Amino acid sequence: MFWQQLVNGLTLGSTYSLVALGYTLIMGVLDIVNMAHGEIFMFGAFTGLILASHFHVNIFVAMLGAALVGSLLGIILERVALRPLRRRAVSHLAPLISTIGVSIFLESVALKVFGPESQAFPQTLAGKIYTIGPMQISLVQVVILAVAFGLMLILRFWLARTKIGKALRATAESTETAGILGVNTNLIIVLTVSLASGLGAIAGVLVGLTFNAVEPTMGMSMGLKGLAVLILGGMGNITGAMFGGLILGVAEVFSVAYGASSYRDAVAFGMIILILFVRPQGLFGAKDQTGGR
Amino acid sequence: MDFILNPYYLQIGMFIMINAILGVSIYLTLATGQLSLGNAGFMSIGAYTSALLTLKAGFPVYLAIPIGGFAAAAVSAVIGFPALRLKGLYLAIATLGFGEVVRVVFLNLKITNGALGLSGIPSLGILLGKALSSAGFDQGMGGLSVQQLSNVSVLLILLILVVFLVFFSLRLSRCRVGRAFAAIKTDETAAEAMGINTTYYKLLAFLLGAFIAGVAGALAAHITFYIGPKDFDYHRTVEILLFAVLGGSNLVWGPILGATLLTMLPEVLRAASDYRMMIYGAILVTMMAFRPQGLISEETLRFWKAKLGRRKEHDLNS
Repeated sequence: MFWQQLVNGLTLGSTYSLVALGYTLIMGVLDIVNMAHGEIFMFGAFTGLILASHFHVNIFVAMLGAALVGSLLGIILERVALRPLRRRAVSHLAPLISTIGVSIFLESVALKVFGPESQAFPQTLAGKIYTIGPMQISLVQVVILAVAFGLMLILRFWLARTKIGKALRATAESTETAGILGVNTNLIIVLTVSLASGLGAIAGVLVGLTFNAVEPTMGMSMGLKGLAVLILGGMGNITGAMFGGLILGVAEVFSVAYGASSYRDAVAFGMIILILFVRPQGLFGAKDQTGGR
Repeated sequence: MDFILNPYYLQIGMFIMINAILGVSIYLTLATGQLSLGNAGFMSIGAYTSALLTLKAGFPVYLAIPIGGFAAAAVSAVIGFPALRLKGLYLAIATLGFGEVVRVVFLNLKITNGALGLSGIPSLGILLGKALSSAGFDQGMGGLSVQQLSNVSVLLILLILVVFLVFFSLRLSRCRVGRAFAAIKTDETAAEAMGINTTYYKLLAFLLGAFIAGVAGALAAHITFYIGPKDFDYHRTVEILLFAVLGGSNLVWGPILGATLLTMLPEVLRAASDYRMMIYGAILVTMMAFRPQGLISEETLRFWKAKLGRRKEHDLNS
């Protein structure tokens, strides 16, 4: 029972980590919370669903398509809601409010286009279940874990070892200084937002597979959970986002397994309210990054 | 007369007043530069407290409504003390999370009737109607029926409340507390260096905002006679935020104008009600890009004052 729940928790948590990575990347580079991330995630899930059920493509191709649509939405988001604010000095709450605008816009578009009811992925992967020791793991779970952890590893490597990754980290450190040193910061910012959105869209497909349900409101609840992980792990901290997601996933699954199933959605926020009071910089945040931004 | 006083228009009028009260509640927290996204949560605490007190404990409505406000303020004090150590984005997210937790709790408690919500809440209009009948106005007054009369009086009570809140906010901005709020909004560190107890004033603004939101929630419960957890979700928070963003949050007139415009929008433009959330989203993005200070700012007021003042002078001279 325990090990089984742990596996379920890690599977769920790995998708949370992927969503939170998108928040963290944008937070790190732009110092803003992208409230529209959850809705981009939801559009990714719907793209994957449409590709898989209407065009009968392989699930990995569906993920790729979702990532493309997600990145495109990210680029539009940056153009429409973030760039106009960057040109002039506005309060730091302005980008938050404008991305909230994008998020409710996208959500209501999805309600109009896709309808309010929940839709399911075609059952191509289901059925296969492997038994390892005391736990059973389904093929869907294996795919989810592999894709999520694979992407996180690639991202880490890319940020640490490549030239663009270095430019991204430099921009995160200080946009002005990076610009002076010859980094095309505008390009890096667009790249960051589209990368984060692409990751979010892939996570959308993975979550759609996990729960076998895709609906327009899933962006909202997932977006809030991503935010919870962002705070749990420490703002702008990539390791924090990865572990924070896993911790939240496991905590949620255990709270469902051992009692309070209907309070599942409150677990995330109960946790962050607690974290904010005890350790405002997050589990993995450095001391100087306390809530003083 | 009957045309203007039909129940539909009166209902819209009441919603405008409730939303204006909510606008004042977010204005007061924004006056210290704190963005609290928990107003829908406080509103629901006020609404449920008042509704449960009247339904289950038999409290009179006029007592239950302020108690709803105090309940919201008490909860805000508990979470506000630690939460206000957080700044900017952190506070926004923590309060947003608080609102979600409150909603989930109300969704799961037995006494709040879960997702079905509470219905049959004693309505202000009917209570006033009964009071009027027993006072001898059962034939109505001045050609108005009792029902119209009671609806009009509810609207009047709400209007008086809004006028009082505007007066209160205007007076507040010219006294010690209001000046402290403005100083904290402009620069918190500098304000602290000037000897202002920033925690105290931030908490005060937070409490006031929560109290007013709680009262607004309680009033809403007694006007619509039904409340459910869905009435106080994220969309309600966004709506309240929008009042301040559209109207402008530097002056108390801003949120009130925002609340009035946005409550009337779906009613005036029938086609708009289907696309309400889409329009709200677009408004948020465009306002932030082109006019982040909102429709009404200090400059707008100065501009109109100067213009109207000159015209008066002109009239006098000619």
